Order: sequence, then C-alpha cells, then structure tokens
Amino acid sequence: MLGKRLVGVITVKDGWAVQSFGFGRYLPLGRAEILADNLDRWGADEVLILCIDRGAAGPDLALLRRVAAKGLSTPLIYGGGIRSVEDAVAVVASGADRVAVDTLLRDDPAIVPGIEAALGAQAVIAALPLGIDGDALVSFDYRTRTRAPLAEATLALLRAGSISEVLAMDHVNDGGAAFDERIVDLFPVPEVPLIAFGGLRDPDQIRRVLGRPSVRAAAVGNSLSYGENRIRQLKSKLGALPIRVPSYHRWIDQ
Amino acid sequence: MTRKLVGIVDYGAGNIASVTRSLKKTGYRCFASRNPAELDKASVLVLPGVGAFPSAMQALHGCGLVGYLQESVQGGRSLVGICLGMQLLGDFSEEIAPTAGLGFVPGRVVRIRDARWHIGWNALETSGRASFLAESDGRSVYFNHSYVLETSPEYVVAVARLGEALAPFPVAVQRGNIFGLQFHPEKSQSAGLRILSDVLAEAHHAG
Repeated sequence: MLGKRLVGVITVKDGWAVQSFGFGRYLPLGRAEILADNLDRWGADEVLILCIDRGAAGPDLALLRRVAAKGLSTPLIYGGGIRSVEDAVAVVASGADRVAVDTLLRDDPAIVPGIEAALGAQAVIAALPLGIDGDALVSFDYRTRTRAPLAEATLALLRAGSISEVLAMDHVNDGGAAFDERIVDLFPVPEVPLIAFGGLRDPDQIRRVLGRPSVRAAAVGNSLSYGENRIRQLKSKLGALPIRVPSYHRWIDQ
Repeated sequence: MTRKLVGIVDYGAGNIASVTRSLKKTGYRCFASRNPAELDKASVLVLPGVGAFPSAMQALHGCGLVGYLQESVQGGRSLVGICLGMQLLGDFSEEIAPTAGLGFVPGRVVRIRDARWHIGWNALETSGRASFLAESDGRSVYFNHSYVLETSPEYVVAVARLGEALAPFPVAVQRGNIFGLQFHPEKSQSAGLRILSDVLAEAHHAG
C-alpha cells in the first residue's frame, strides 16, 4: 500500500542552508549537501531543497552536483530559479528527481506543460505559498509581499494534470509551531495531492495532517536540525499511519 | 575470471549520476555512454529513464540507439530498464501521443487505473518466480510515475497496488534476458540497493 511520506526540507539562501522564519528572517545552518547527507542517513522519504533567492540566476546546478556527489539514495526534489523547460531538464540531469516551481507559475505558466512533456507530470510540483484571509485561501507573492486568490492559470494547470502535487506552504507559520490546517480544508483542487509544509514540528499535528486523505506528505524543515536522527525519532512517534518503517530496521534485518 | 562491466545507456533522459553511484555502491564497475562501440564493452546494459515516453523514444532514436539495443538483446546480452526505462521495453505507449517502444516485452503502456499518479514508497508483491526479487517481497521502494506497462502475466514478477482493495499493476517484469523495474532502486535506500545488486547478478547469469 502506498505510504504517506515525511519530507526533509533544506532551505537555501545565499548558498547556505538556513532556518527560515516566515520566509523573512533566517539563521544559518551550514552546507546544504551536509544536511542532505544527514537526511539520507536518517531515512527521510524525500529530500526537498528550496533555494529561495535564485530568481534570474537560474537553478543552483553547482549545489545539485555537490549534493549528487554525496551519492544519496533518497529521492530529491529541487525548487528555485527554474524559468524554462531547459532549466527543469538540467535540474533533473544534475541529480534531482522532481522539480518544484513557484515564480514560474506567476510569470510564465505556459511553460509548465512543456516541463510536463519533457519530464512527465509526476516530476512537477507546484510550490504555493498560502495563507488564510478571513475564511478564504490566498496565495502570497514574496516579491511584492501581497496576497491574492490563487491565479486561474495555476488552477487550470492543476486541473489539467500538468502538476502532480502541491507543496502547500503555510507562509505565515513557516518556522513557527503549528501549520494552519484550514489550508488543507480550503484548497480548491481536491484531486491534487498536497505536501503540507510550514510550522509542522509537533508529532501530534503531523500525524493529524498526514491522516487527511488529500495530504500525501508532510514536509519538515527547521525542527530536523535540532538533533541527530530526527527523522527516525519523528517516524517512531507517528503511530499507525501508513508510513515507511525507518530505514535502519531494514539494515538490521538484511 | 569473466569481466563484469555495466554499461548505462546515456541518451539524455535519465538521472545518470544517481544510477551510476548506486551501481558503484553494489560493487559493479560501470560507465555511461551513448557510443555503441563503448557500450559493446559492457556485459549488461542498464536503460534508465526519467520523463515522458515520447521524448525518451525520440532521444533514443536521435542517438541512433534503438537498432543497437535491439541487436544487443537479440544477441543475448541482458538489458535492465529502470522506471521509464521499463516502460520503453514495451510495444507501444499511450502517453501524450501514441508512440512505438522497443518491443522487447509484449504489452502497452497505459495510464494507471484508480489514481492519476503513483508517487512515493510502496510495497512490492513478488510472484516468487524471479530469483532477483526473492528477498524483496514486501519491501518498500520508491515510485514516481503515472503510466504502467501492461503485459502478459507470464512476464510479471512483481506488482504493487494503490490500496488494499484496488487492483494490482506490474512493477517488475522479466522476459529471458530482459528485466524491467518500474520503481527507482537507486533512490530506494537499502531496499533498492539490494534489488539492484540482485537483478544485476541475475542479468549477468541470464546474458
């Protein structure tokens, strides 16, 4: 049976892995490739590298090659600076398995079907910074620091199946203590699976969020950096969820 | 001593770096190339694949490798297709636009039933017929696809399913010296490395 996933997130700014608080305040953590290596050893189900300041610089292929050189055997998602089909293909050729797009959805959504044609929709994730205004779901634009309803072009891509999953980023609670679960309730395309991200650190909340049918994965960032083997510790607290047994069990019985 | 060397077919549609590093972890010497003269040195060929079927077949044709692979397989050399590489083994795909495949395993590539995608870690249910999966029944491996190769049950050596009550679909096939793995063994941690090691041992035996 297909399991739910625990995704380890590495946020990268100015070439360094950072702790992010609301995507507005940052504390340095170290080298992204070292953190990726840790998550691989600890049995993360996927590793997500989000380079949040690439903009016109394009994807950080040098970083991807450094990560690939570690020889990870955990699936890798990369987001940051992807502006074209060629960028997305180069990201996969450099070691990622899937790509996450955010700014591209705002600036040039017509490129996304081209990425789908080259890589398959299963490799395409929409990274959407989301929040709640009153009782409505809104999208947050980091560049203008404004909020607005999700763009029709994004919704059309989701409904068309050009994108396989949505990284639903709670931009208000990023680095905080709780993910706003209303984001899951109000997400307007229920047939597209969600990866919940932002404020997820409490095992009880992670278990509750992963228990929702539309949520396929929980992405955890900052709190994984507070000690050794945090993925394994977290998985052991998730109870009866259909989640993969931490990998060290597999090493023991082989 | 017979020289065991794995040749990774590099036609521009695969995560070559990850496959190469995983193969090295299993102890095999390997190299990636699209040059038939180079690939001729390999005792087993590995065909990785990421992306959409039509683009991948176009890339194989563009590299002039379709005929080469067909001659290699007919000559008895083993071929292991990984992820999209397994789908390419089939006759035909319905993905995006109807496209002919390599035709090594009778069958067609169709959309997964019951869901749009099969993404994440799922358990293998092995048939018991393939020795290279003998130790892997019930193991979780990583999948990332939306189409599957539907083929005759005689070639299916493992299936997976999206839910306990839902129909199984093929995720590993074997037809003589042809092997296919729909999942990503190179991204399935210890379980994947075990399968990769075992399938290459079997492929060397079969070829």
